[in-house]
This record gives sequence, C-alpha cells and structure tokens, in this order.
Amino acid sequence: MDFEFFTMNPIALFFASIFTSNILLSNFLGMCSFISVSKDYKSSFGLGLAVTVVMTITAAVSWVVLYYVIVPLGLEYLSFIVFIIVIAAVVQILEMVIDRASPALYMSLGIFLPLITVNCAILGAILFMQIRQYAFIESVVFAAGSGLGWWLAIMLLAAIRGRIENNPVPSGLKGAGITMITIGFMAMGFIGFSGMIAVQ
Amino acid sequence: MSAKPGKILMDNLWFNNPVLIQVLGICSTLAVTNNVRNTLVMTVGVSLATAFSGWTLSLMKDLIPRKVRMIVQVLVISFYVILIDILLRAYLPEASRQLGPYVGLIITNCIIMGRAEAFAAANRPLISFWDGLTSGLGYMAVLVAIALVREILGFGSVLGFRLMPEGFVPWTIMITAPSAFFLVAMVMWLARNLQARREAAAKAAKAAPKPAAGPSPAKA
Amino acid sequence: MKKKFDRENIAYVVIFSFVTCAVFVAGLAAANEATAPKVRANREFANQAAVLDALGIGYSGPAEAASLYASAVRPIEGASPRAYVAERPDGRHYAVEVTGAGLWGAITIVAAAGESLERLDGIQIIAQNETPGLGGRIDEPWFKEQFRGERVAGGRIRISAGAEAGGSGANDPDDGLVDGVSGATRTSQAMELILAKAIARLAEVAGGGK
Repeated sequence: MDFEFFTMNPIALFFASIFTSNILLSNFLGMCSFISVSKDYKSSFGLGLAVTVVMTITAAVSWVVLYYVIVPLGLEYLSFIVFIIVIAAVVQILEMVIDRASPALYMSLGIFLPLITVNCAILGAILFMQIRQYAFIESVVFAAGSGLGWWLAIMLLAAIRGRIENNPVPSGLKGAGITMITIGFMAMGFIGFSGMIAVQ
Repeated sequence: MSAKPGKILMDNLWFNNPVLIQVLGICSTLAVTNNVRNTLVMTVGVSLATAFSGWTLSLMKDLIPRKVRMIVQVLVISFYVILIDILLRAYLPEASRQLGPYVGLIITNCIIMGRAEAFAAANRPLISFWDGLTSGLGYMAVLVAIALVREILGFGSVLGFRLMPEGFVPWTIMITAPSAFFLVAMVMWLARNLQARREAAAKAAKAAPKPAAGPSPAKA
Repeated sequence: MKKKFDRENIAYVVIFSFVTCAVFVAGLAAANEATAPKVRANREFANQAAVLDALGIGYSGPAEAASLYASAVRPIEGASPRAYVAERPDGRHYAVEVTGAGLWGAITIVAAAGESLERLDGIQIIAQNETPGLGGRIDEPWFKEQFRGERVAGGRIRISAGAEAGGSGANDPDDGLVDGVSGATRTSQAMELILAKAIARLAEVAGGGK
C-alpha cells in the first residue's frame, strides 16, 4: 500500500479523544440518543458501554475493509454506504453473540444495540478515522477513546439531570432546553482539559 | 390524503419543528454552525436528502419487503448523501474540503430516517417530497439563526462581510462548542414560550363568548 | 396486504434487494465517473494555484493559473516531497511542499522563499483536517497573508498563541512573528513546527538537495 498514514503518539491521541476533543462535547456527535437516554442513570451506563464496544470494533473492521477492499478497488465514493453496512453487521453479530453467551449482559447491553446503528457518533468516528488517514493502531485507539469519552459524558449528564429534576426550572426550558444548557457547561469544563495534553 | 401542504409547512417550520420540539438531527450540523456558509451548505444538503429520499421511498413503498425495509431506507438515504458529496467535491471543492466528514454524517441525521419512517412510508410521493423539504427548512431556519449569531459575535463578520466596527473584540466562546449548546437552548426556550403563550391565548379566546378574530393556531 | 404477490417471499426479497442495490450503486458509479475529470481538474488547479500563491504570483482564473504555472514554475525532478523552482526578475525562488502533524491529522503546506531565505514569499495550505471554524481557520486569507514577506528569524517564524487581531491580520513583516488563531493554540503550535520544517527544507532545496 502506498498510502501515507498519519501517525501520532497513541497515548496522547487516546486522552485527547476522551477529554480535550470529546466526540460529543466538541463535535456534537451522537446527540439524539444522548439527550433521550440520559434521563436515566442505568440506561446511560448500558448505552455508553454499548457505544464504546461497537465503536472500537467497527473502527477496526472498517479500517481493514477500507484499506484492503475499498481503496484497492478504487471505490472510495461508496465508502459511506460500506461503513453503514459494517456498523449494521457488527451490531447484528454482537447482538447474537451476547444473547447466546450471557443473557444477563444481554439485558443490560443488548437492548441498546439496535439504537446504535443510527448513532452518528459511530459513523462519525469512522469518517474522522478515514479523513485523517490514521494507521490501524491510531484508528483503534481513537475509536476506543472517543467511545469512552462519550460514555463518560453521558454518565456525567445523567448524574446531573438526576439532580436537576428536584429543582425549579422555567417551564419553557424543561426537558431538552435545560439539558442543552447543562451540556454547554460540561463542554466548557472539558475545554479546560486542553492544557493537559501536549500533542507532539 | 388528509395532510394539506400548508399545514405540513406550518407544522414542520414551527409547531413541530424538528430541532426545537422533536430535538432531532442536530448532531451532523451543530459542529459547523460557527460559519454561516458551511451551515447553509449542510442544511441545504439535509433538506434535499430528506426531500428526495422521502419521495423515492414513497414511490417504492409498495415494493419494499418488510424484512429489508430499514436497510432499503438506509440505502436510499446513503445514495442521496453520497450524491451530494460527489457534487460538492466537483462543484464546491472549497466547501467540501472544509466540511470534511460532516457531509457523510448527514446519513445518520435522525430527521431523514424519522421522516422516511413516519411520513413517506404512508404517504404519496409528492407530498412526501414536500414534507421532507419543509422539515429540512425548519431545521435550516434554526441552525442558520444560530450560525448567524455565532459568526457575527465570534468573528465580527457574516459570509465574509465585516459587520462589527473596527474596535470590536470577538467573543472566543462563540467560536467554540459550548456556545452552540447555549444558543440551541435559548432558541428552544423562546419558541416554547411563544407557543405556550399562543396556546393560552387560543384557549382564552375559545372560552370567551365571541369567536376568535385571527386564524386559530394548531392545537398540537 | 393490498398487492396480490407475496412481498415476504424469500426469492422476491433477495431479487428486490439485489436489483435495488445494483440500481443505486450504478447511479452513484455514473455520477462519480461523470464528475471525476472535474474533480481531477479541481485538484490539479488547487495544487498549481497553491504553488503560485506561495510564490506570490497573482492569477485570475484556472486558465491563467495553468499558463502562468507552465511558464514560470519548474518542478525539481526527483524531489520528494515535491519542490519547485521559479525564475523571477529578482532571482531564483523556491517552493516546497511540507507535511507535518496538526492537532487532528496531517497538515500539508506549500512555502516559498527567495534564494537568500531572508524572507518568505508566502505560504498556502493544501490539506488540513483541523476543526472547522477553529484550527481550520489557518486556511483563511488573513492568516496566510501574514506570511507574505515575513522575515525569517533564526530559521523560523513564530506564531503567537491566541493573539489574533480580530481576524484583520495586522502584522509587522520584520519581527518574524505572526498572529495565531484564537481558540486553536494547538494548531498554531503545530503550524509553527511545520513552518520550521518548511524553512529547513527550503534551505536544503536551495542548496541543491532533493
């Protein structure tokens, strides 16, 4: 392959994708399920776990498909569709495997899997990986970090929303409105992490 | 079909606005709302993709087997989004370069999937096209409004024209992510308050003995 | 079900899926083929224009850019990454392509300078993946224009962090210091390193290296 990959320190990339450039708080990816599910702490845990697992696996599979099938065949223009199919296939297989292996885990994780096929964070991570030409290790590290970052963000938000419920909120802001403001403050907090990591 | 084009327009633009009321589909575009031009390109893309995929899926709806319905929907949506990506790369290379991965993310925009499932699956092609287009316009209206505020306060200019006086100090927060969340919340608050007030007024008018003067708002 | 045939029949499902896929993929392939020359021309133009921009040679459109490029610029054969020579009225000028790590991915720029390497002619950005509206603003004219005629001080040009003059790019060309993009400190730092690399590469190419 005469493809020039971009390599950077995987540890820096890992922490940068969790904290400084959290895929949700700075790239706004995965908002739909984020807002509707974060009402409940337990569901947030399950969905966050599912996103992390699916994101890491799909990034690895997509990387292989991208550089061993799509690029050699010159089918880059079809890559979006191929990625969606990879995500759907991984989700389907994972659902079957978990169902067979552990019914208990299926109850906490499996029910969120169908939600994930259309979660923009997963496709987003893969598209970022493609456009930034990450090598295999970078892709997996970036996807795992992004997934963990998403998980962290939804857990924090679920905890905060639990407290907001007991407080008076203007009627027009109830629900989505106050949640948006909360996410905004979280995003400001996460920007503060940017001094933490030197990307070089 | 009972749905009237005018009512669909009002519903999608205001009473059931995809962003403000349904809180759908902001993921793919919010990240580029610090620039009005990029926001316009993205939201026009979303509108066209929603309209055409609604039209196509409505045309095909009697032929699609139930088992593969979801995958066919995703296929049709991806088809239009890839088409948009190809056209952008050929005719607006600059915008295509700046938007990077965000064009592809239109595929996962929940509005498109939502309209395909909720409207196009049960309606005629032309009205599905109209429904998709107006949903996209409702989406565009909110995001372009946010982009205007962010670009004016963050850069002091809009579409390259300088609006703010020379001494204006740009608000850095408007360029960064948190401001988008705050602005979405503010627009939501405004919209919900206005709608609540109109609803209250409509109720009061109904309770009063004489008939209401203006056209009565929807009771959704 | 209104239709007479069985939509859930497995043979129908398979044929339907196959035909639908084939139709849509064929449509995309056709669109891709139809626009491929246009995309290639865009890329070609972007590359040539970047070299001309960096050298400070003005042009008004793709046609003029192509003819100016053909007459004024000569690629250095065997140079990797790509490098160019231009004979100008005031002597020989060099342009080099340099890639370095940005915050999120590779940034590729073209930088140009005269033989003495005292001042940069200018820079142009070919590819970058920085955050749109933040680090991505290194691609805006006000940022790039700051390098036009900027003095190279001690083999580098410094980029101040977050001290952007309202996007106006007010700048003293003699201090070897330009304004960074506010809110994108990391990208500004990356650009400083890439510029140092570019200046070293310019010296190498001017000295006859490849």
